[in-house]
Amino acid sequence: MISFSHVAVVYDSHRVLHDISFKVEPGQFVFLVGQTGSGKTTLLRLISMDILPTKGIVTVGKYSSRGISPRELPFLRRTLGTVFQDFKLMGDRSVFDNVAFTLHVTGTKGTEIKKKVMHTLADVGLTHARNMRVQELSGGEQQRVAIARAFVHNPLVLLADEPTGNLDPGTSAEILQLLFDINTRGTAVIMATHNYELTRKAKQRILRLEEGGVRQVEKA
Amino acid sequence: MSISYTLRESFSGFRRAKISSLLSIITVCISLLLLGSFVAITVNAGRLVDALRARLEMEAFLVEPATEGEIDSLVTAVSSLRGVENVLFISKDDAVRIFKQEFGEDITTVLDFNPLPPSLKITLTPQYRTSTGTQEVYDRLVAMRGIESVVYRKALLELIDKRAAGLNKVMLTLGLIISLSAIFLVSNTIRLAIRAKQSLIQTMELVGATRGFIRLPFLLEGSVQGLCGGLLAAALLAGLLGYGARLVSAEFAPYLRMAPAFYGGLVCAGILLGFAGSIISVVRFVRPVAAH
Ligand SMILES: Nc1ncnc2c1ncn2[C@@H]1O[C@H](COP(=O)(O)OP(=O)(O)OP(=O)(O)O)[C@@H](O)[C@H]1O
Ligand SMILES: [Mg+2]
Repeated sequence: MISFSHVAVVYDSHRVLHDISFKVEPGQFVFLVGQTGSGKTTLLRLISMDILPTKGIVTVGKYSSRGISPRELPFLRRTLGTVFQDFKLMGDRSVFDNVAFTLHVTGTKGTEIKKKVMHTLADVGLTHARNMRVQELSGGEQQRVAIARAFVHNPLVLLADEPTGNLDPGTSAEILQLLFDINTRGTAVIMATHNYELTRKAKQRILRLEEGGVRQVEKA
Repeated sequence: MSISYTLRESFSGFRRAKISSLLSIITVCISLLLLGSFVAITVNAGRLVDALRARLEMEAFLVEPATEGEIDSLVTAVSSLRGVENVLFISKDDAVRIFKQEFGEDITTVLDFNPLPPSLKITLTPQYRTSTGTQEVYDRLVAMRGIESVVYRKALLELIDKRAAGLNKVMLTLGLIISLSAIFLVSNTIRLAIRAKQSLIQTMELVGATRGFIRLPFLLEGSVQGLCGGLLAAALLAGLLGYGARLVSAEFAPYLRMAPAFYGGLVCAGILLGFAGSIISVVRFVRPVAAH
């Protein structure tokens, strides 16, 4: 479903990724690990085609980085859900409106939006905060709003960039469990993290970014 | 895309960014106030000058004695001259009456006879109400048989021409300066708006919104802000001109009045300015750019 073939990314003559090849199948759960600056965010941005590879090809479903037109971009992105490292929430809107935005974009009916958003907010434990403005929430609460917005529309793939970055170990475990739950419902999840504790205990597939290349970590 | 969502989005824009909305409205209002007062002044100064010119008639005194037939053909000949709008025959008796109206004395009792010659009062077409135009008609008139002499207020006309030319130059320069300041004002506010909305627009795109979906609420919001700015400017200007009309004498008051179309134009200009402003601020979308 997602495939990277000899992908390289160079930012202003600074090479971040080189010769990356891997595949992610529908419904898989993948940890993407690597030191800070190793290119995890860059790799996720390649999947949502926010940037295009300098070399090689990225394909996501029926879309290819070679042939995609600006017109097709929104439709590719609707098959994905992204939890951005910096959240990218709309700070001047309510929690409800932030999560509902993903559904408004696709022209979903109002009653359906309400139902889905309330379900999703219950899943992340933010029902009580639905009318609060995002600016008024704590970092951890904002993180959960970002997750809710990313999976409210049942995407094929959830891209989570450091979704436990701002959280204490207990809450981190809860979030991770939430991502596992979303995964069991059929959504493939790619989670970037440098929290080795989390990945060590898990039995999911791990991709490690090292010196611009990717290495599959085999579990014993 | 649902219409109710778009409408709701457009109007909640005001609620979310009160200061920035207010700033846009004020910017449009100030720009239009400047532009509107300029147009009002220019239009009315022109009307004032035209009214002044319309009062300056020529008078052609006829050779005495003249028969009715001679007078009739002379009136026809003068009427058909290029630049002549209207010709009025003033007989010797008419002249006495006018003299009495103006000076309060009957000249025939003072002098025992009527010294006033019959004459033609000539009004020129608007294009000919300049010193060169009037001179041209003057030259034709004095060459005509049956006309003794022609008088008009040459010095005053020349003065008006000179002042009007000066006024045009000043207005042109002023208009240029005001237009440039208005554009600068509005574009500056727009630049701020771009900066404020850039990351929001980028996020909307990353979540899968199409350009149309993102733009429409912004365009509506901008147009409504422009409408508010336009209405405010029209109301302020109407108040200002009304107040000014009460300060000057009754004779000048009409020259501070503007047609309803002018105020309608101001409001339309406001909508246009707001619409154009928001187009510029949302058109700069982030396209997928290949990392090089
Ligand atoms: N837009 C950009 N222009 C230039 N260089 C960039 C850009 N984005 C990222 N980089 C560089 O690319 C490298 C990888 O960045 P990236 O954000 O992908 O790392 P990361 O693995 O997500 O790091 P972190 O764990 O800190 O989030 C870094 O050295 C960064 O400086
Ligand atoms: Mg990162």
